[in-house]
Amino acid sequence: MDFGNPLDFVKSLTVAASGLKAQIGRMRIISENIANSDSVAATPGGDPYRRRIVTFSSELDRSLGVNVVKLGAVETDKSDFMIKHEPGNPAADANGDVKYPNVNTLVEMTDLRDAQRSYEANLNVVTATRRMLQRTIDIIKS
Amino acid sequence: MPISDIPILSMLRTRMQWHQARQEVLAENVANADTPNYRARDITPLDFGTQLSTASLSMVSTDPNHIAASAGSGAGSQFASDSSGRYEIRPRGNSVTHEDEMMKVAANQMDFEAVTSLYTHSLAMIKLAIGK
Repeated sequence: MDFGNPLDFVKSLTVAASGLKAQIGRMRIISENIANSDSVAATPGGDPYRRRIVTFSSELDRSLGVNVVKLGAVETDKSDFMIKHEPGNPAADANGDVKYPNVNTLVEMTDLRDAQRSYEANLNVVTATRRMLQRTIDIIKS
Repeated sequence: MPISDIPILSMLRTRMQWHQARQEVLAENVANADTPNYRARDITPLDFGTQLSTASLSMVSTDPNHIAASAGSGAGSQFASDSSGRYEIRPRGNSVTHEDEMMKVAANQMDFEAVTSLYTHSLAMIKLAIGK
């Protein structure tokens, strides 16, 4: 009897797993940003840590024929650095100004929540698909 | 007549395949919720009328020279069905809403469970009829 290809459920699981992986990668970059939110330059007047942004892209998995999500290139945020006047800081330039990273912790925390929410959504799909697969197997048991 | 040719069972199977295909599309939507320019998709609902008419398998003649053949005669008349590409996929809106997709996933799962229990009960009725 043809119940449809059981691989179809595996396809759904693969797609959801790719979503989980992508969101974990996003969380990693966000935590990097937060950790380095005060990382100034090592040399006087140098550039501090620059905020990094993840990109996502939809890619066709040729072996399964489904659109999985992949973590694309990690870009840097081109916005200006925050400049504070701290003449005593080792990283200060000739005028006593220190460049601080262009990281806004509030923005990063909001991003982190968003990533977490997406992660949970993907996890929900995995749970639902797993249950559907289990119900199909239960037919044989009856 | 094999058990798989019983109309109610073949209809329920089609429905299960439809839910399977839909789960795949919904999983893609959720996974690509943060992908730029991605458009959420859904598959067209299953039409009861067309399903009823195709429940009994018959051959289609696409050319006037074709000789009409009756289906179900002989052991080799079973056609392998490919569930991929059977359902039309259409674009919907321009962005993915997690809430919407979660609702659809939950609905899809519940409907699928309803279909599987109907299938189990149909099989139980057949078992009852043959006295087992």
